[in-house]
Order: sequence, then structure tokens, then C-alpha cells
Amino acid sequence: MRRVREEGGVNMTPMIDVVFQLIIFFVCTVELERQAIDESIRLSMAPHGPAVEQKDPREVVVEVDDRGRISIARNYMNEAFLRNLLRNVVISHGQTTPVIIRAAGGARHEDIRRVMDACAYAGLWKVSFAAVKEVAQ
Amino acid sequence: MAHRHKRTRKSIEAGEVQMTAMIDVVFQLLVYFIVTIQPQDVIAHLDVFRPSPESKQEQLQTPPKMIRIQIFENGFTMNDRQVGLREMESLLARLAGIDVKQTIMIMATANSRHEDLIRVLDLCAKNGLQNLSVISTN
Repeated sequence: MRRVREEGGVNMTPMIDVVFQLIIFFVCTVELERQAIDESIRLSMAPHGPAVEQKDPREVVVEVDDRGRISIARNYMNEAFLRNLLRNVVISHGQTTPVIIRAAGGARHEDIRRVMDACAYAGLWKVSFAAVKEVAQ
Repeated sequence: MAHRHKRTRKSIEAGEVQMTAMIDVVFQLLVYFIVTIQPQDVIAHLDVFRPSPESKQEQLQTPPKMIRIQIFENGFTMNDRQVGLREMESLLARLAGIDVKQTIMIMATANSRHEDLIRVLDLCAKNGLQNLSVISTN
């Protein structure tokens, strides 16, 4: 009895190794996800908007900053490039692909319009605007 | 009894790894991650309809039922009457009491701020209005 406990209880090392591997994996993936969006964009507040519960894996997040620059995953692009890109999205994922416009509160509507026009040109009609519902403490 | 006690202590000293130092390190890591983690804001997505060439004709057939909200650089109008945000909110609440499926056309001018559009969409979302069309004007 005592012998079993002695031999079974000692070997913690592999388990700890695995746990550390998991921790490192999750830390790294969280960082990568955070890099995909531009943190400098200050979204406007919409305290009554519906909270995002599930994400469509196909969704395209188009970002517009204060100065009206259009970017996807921090790659800045002009309107023509965005149009081509969205057209390719339609070809590969269909017209029901949701587009989320993540625009800064200070952006002018003119620049949002350029994004919406590119969506219309590509035939994407599921357009929504991202806003902050609750500010994290 | 004394003999047994001695044996277990000896086996711990000989066989097991020093846990104390490792637990210290693990706690350090834990505290580090708890301190550095940044809670994310809760994001809302405000869905809108965009006019397509086919729906344009439908809209022309039913102009009287449409509610038009226009967003300018320095204010809002509802059906060509200038309103403040408060007034718009109460009007939208009354409207939602009648019919939440009522189409609302939100026309934003090129120079208006995106923030104002979000404000209007937020008020519509608050009152449960569903048919929101966003149209850009010059």
C-alpha cells in the first residue's frame, strides 16, 4: 500500500510540462487574435445595441480610422483593392458573408460610404457596424 | 510507530522533487498573467439594410409610411423637421409602440460623423426597431 503511493505520487514533472505547454499555447493564441484588429480605433458607444453572441467564421472586419483610411487586419488598402478583395470573398464564401464595419467615432460618413459602396459593388448585403456596448473595467 | 514515521520522511526527502520552489514560480506566473490581462470591451453589432437596385423600386411605391432620419454635421432631422437626440428618442419609442417593423431610412450626409450614425442606430436598437436602411447622401 505504502509502496504504491510512493511510486505513483512522485512523478509530477511530465504533467507540469504539459500544463506549461498549454499555458504558453493559450497565451500565444490570445496575442495573435488581438493583433488582427487595430486597437487604436476608438469605437463609439452603443449601450443598447445587441451584443455579439456568436461569430460567423466567414465574417470580414473592415476597419476605418479617424483619418478615413481603410484597413483589414491592419493592412491598409485603397478602394479598388477593397472591391477586388470583397469580390473574391463573394466568390469563395457567397453573398451572405457578413461584413462588419469597425469605424472610429470620429470618422466621416463619406469614408464609411466608400466601404459600404464597395460591399454593394461586390454584392455583399449583410453589413453591420461595430460599437462598444460595455466598456471593460 | 516511530520507525514508520522515520521511513516516510526519509522517502520524501530522497524521492520527491522540491515542490516549494516550483510552486513559488507557478504563483509568480499566475500573478503576472492576472495582472497583465486586459478585459475586452463588449462589442455590439448594429445591423443595417443597404439599398440594392431591386429594393429601390419597392421603396418608391411606399413613400408615405417611411420615416426619414437625416444626419447632418451639426444635427438631425426627422421627416424634414429638426430634432434633438432626446426628442428623436421619444418619437422613436412612440413609433416602436405602433410597429417595430416600420422601415426607417437613415440618411447620412458625407460630412457627418460616424459617431452620430451609431447614436441613431443605437436609439433604434434600444426601441427594438428592425428595418433600418442606411443611405448616403451628399
